Amino acid sequence: MNIGAEPPSLDWSVTTDSTSFDVISNLMVGLTQYTANLSCAPACASSWEITDGGRCYVFHLRQDARWSDGQPVTAYDFEYAWKRLLTPKTAAQYAFFFYDIVGAFEFNTGTLKDASKVGVMATDPHTLVVRLKKPAAYFIYLTAFCPSFPQRKDIIERWGDRWTDPEHIVTNGPFRLSTWKHEYKIELSANPLFFEGEPAIKRIKMFMVTEQSTAFALYENNEFDYVDNRSFSTPDVERCCRSPEYHNIALLRNNYIGFNTTKRPFDDRRVRLAVSMAVDRNIFPTILRRHERPSDSWIPPPLAGYASDSGPGYHPDIARRLLAEAGYPGGAGFPPVELLYPNREDTRLVVEQIQDQLKRVLGIKIVLTNQEWKVYLETLRRNPPAMFRNSWGADYPDPETFMNIFTSHNGNNDTRWSNATYDQLISKAKAESNQELRADLYRRADHLLCAQEAPIACTYLSSQNLMVKPWVHGIAFNALDLQFFKNAYIQAPVNSNKADFHTSIPCSHATVLSLPVTSKCRVYQQLSSAVFGKTPTLARGSVVACPNLSPAVTESPAEQATKESAQ
Amino acid sequence: MMLICKRLLWTIPILWMVATITFALVRVVPGGPFDAEKHLPPEIVANIKAKYHLDKPVIEQYILYLNRLAHGDLGVSYKYVNRTVNDIIGDALPVSIQLGATALIIAIVIGIPLGTFAAVRRGTAYDLAAMAISTIGISVPSFLVGALLIYIFGITFKILPVALWESPSHMIMPALTLSFLPTAYIARLTRASVLEVLQKDWVRTARSKGLSLQSTIIKHVLRNSLLPVLTIIGPLTAILITGSFTVEYIYAIPGMGRFFITAVINRDYDLIMATSLIFAVILIACNTVVDMAYTLLDPRIKVKS
Repeated sequence: MNIGAEPPSLDWSVTTDSTSFDVISNLMVGLTQYTANLSCAPACASSWEITDGGRCYVFHLRQDARWSDGQPVTAYDFEYAWKRLLTPKTAAQYAFFFYDIVGAFEFNTGTLKDASKVGVMATDPHTLVVRLKKPAAYFIYLTAFCPSFPQRKDIIERWGDRWTDPEHIVTNGPFRLSTWKHEYKIELSANPLFFEGEPAIKRIKMFMVTEQSTAFALYENNEFDYVDNRSFSTPDVERCCRSPEYHNIALLRNNYIGFNTTKRPFDDRRVRLAVSMAVDRNIFPTILRRHERPSDSWIPPPLAGYASDSGPGYHPDIARRLLAEAGYPGGAGFPPVELLYPNREDTRLVVEQIQDQLKRVLGIKIVLTNQEWKVYLETLRRNPPAMFRNSWGADYPDPETFMNIFTSHNGNNDTRWSNATYDQLISKAKAESNQELRADLYRRADHLLCAQEAPIACTYLSSQNLMVKPWVHGIAFNALDLQFFKNAYIQAPVNSNKADFHTSIPCSHATVLSLPVTSKCRVYQQLSSAVFGKTPTLARGSVVACPNLSPAVTESPAEQATKESAQ
Repeated sequence: MMLICKRLLWTIPILWMVATITFALVRVVPGGPFDAEKHLPPEIVANIKAKYHLDKPVIEQYILYLNRLAHGDLGVSYKYVNRTVNDIIGDALPVSIQLGATALIIAIVIGIPLGTFAAVRRGTAYDLAAMAISTIGISVPSFLVGALLIYIFGITFKILPVALWESPSHMIMPALTLSFLPTAYIARLTRASVLEVLQKDWVRTARSKGLSLQSTIIKHVLRNSLLPVLTIIGPLTAILITGSFTVEYIYAIPGMGRFFITAVINRDYDLIMATSLIFAVILIACNTVVDMAYTLLDPRIKVKS
């Protein structure tokens, strides 16, 4: 397979990119793990309790979890990893995700020197207690997030910066790191000590082919068994989208046009709304041609708080009226406005389309400016222009990851928009433990953000395009753009090049290929009722025959079991 | 020996200048190594800057950098966390040298005979064909050559691997692609140079004395006409063995060429400075070897020491 680029690091305390996470997610497991429908299931923690009104989490670790060198995985490994993440010297970029923990912010910023006062403590080898400053309903998701994975103090102290080298690293997940040829390939080998059982696939080769046409040629030559967006040019997507090997997944990545609300004319909400309502989002999948989903609201489906009517919709007449009310009838007198975008082909297509639509619908002229990626980022950080194109991908499957960035003091709020009502809604939702109430709070906040105040105009949801060879089954993908190989297996090898893969099917259980969650749920229901008559129970090694759906889409008994035990 | 010593001594101020100019340029360019789609909280940025000494005044960073450099430490990568630039260059440069040296050999072995042949057959269809080939070689960009070779030999006939760096057969197409341009340059230069030498009186004398054309070309003409070719082989070698971004990109080769581009895109300061320095060192070394080779090819040339 192709991972497209060199992972910047396999130290899960310091790395932040999706390439590294793709590798690490197959080497390690945390306290919990994401299921196919993005809920949290037990992993190293067999169960947990939430007490003190959501301020205290007590995780009970399973007894049979082992590192790849045979040592038991203990709560001390988690305590060490989390405190290492928060140590200023580690300079971990994602340390801020854990600022909800008591003393975490103070420790990370150096005002608290005593690590024992940070609210993470292993009370015995199998119990980890985490204390939060205030309730954070999304916190459980962080325990399945790569930076929260455990680490071995003895290994890191012994090998220093080289602890992630294949000869030193120890892992607790389905695979071990056996080879890492920098800028070229990574090889994973099955971990026989993995507590869910040794994976059926004994070896995975992850090449780092940056050029899409080369990677796709390797796939077509049967040298790669599986490729994703990193190996797909748009013409390849169009050529292959009707192939049974093709799959498309909506990602939790939303794209938007941001307005600097401190600059004319976008300091007037009527102008922002007019622009947002004048954009027909249905055009974006047509011009981008990678099966994107049009989106006019900020929370993407299937996250809590998503509502199809949260956005402003496409209403040219209302848009023209709002613009006239703001003092620009037919676009007359509208000041020159710059729309900044990073220098990429897809973003160019999007902003050109928006420029055209605004000219036609509202009669306003937008000047397009593109900048090299890092220059663009610095411009956004220092002095955002009146309009800019941006996107945001979820770090964990909770609306918080999207909604938090437009609160008044968030560093990622390049719109400079500040709204006390919105801040209150987000603050309440963050602490709310009742899921229905929480979803309602987010729904209201999303409506306020997109359809009432409109500091942003959402455009479309990105998608992941995949090609999987017919003999490969069980790779699990999710909307966070993570891929898992622990349940993958080869059913029918077609040539001798497949020597690296097991040809039999000693898989631990039938497997999941996650489609977009909405599709997956629908298909799952169809399977349950039409094929099985109830929730499917699959024997070890069984394969689901699923007409018109290849490979089968279902949830494994292991996942069901883990979910049930979590509940 | 004196020449080598003198060149070595000159290398120090040259490298210092390269290091200083690059150090200044990378800090002037907008955008920093830790700018990302998700802006980091200022507290996190402070920790990162402290880790890499970027919180210190620029002049102090410069002194630290020169001090490290003097000890052979090229620094650390900001992009590839926990990897030193020495490690990165140490992994990638041998691959580029292997590929570049192969491409250079191909370029010399094909380019010089092709240029000589075209010069000897000046004005004939052979000459036109040879020069047409070399013009195409200069004009067609390597990404197109690479894509064509992959399509023909990798996908259509399946006789060579499409890409990757696994076995000697994986080197054939990248080396051919990389050698396309230098072959054309060498052929054109050789042709022009051989044509010039062929007009000399002593060539006519040699021929009138009954020396065969083949012997005249090999023993007399080539030796005299190769000096201009040798001149460009110095920088050409430096360019080839430090890697080609395009060829490495197309064929997924783990060489050093990509870092000349990606290090700048990532604002990976130490890696940018290291690639510049490595290129400067190799260029100086190649030019020194070429200067030495002049005296071997033409004893009339004496290098002032």
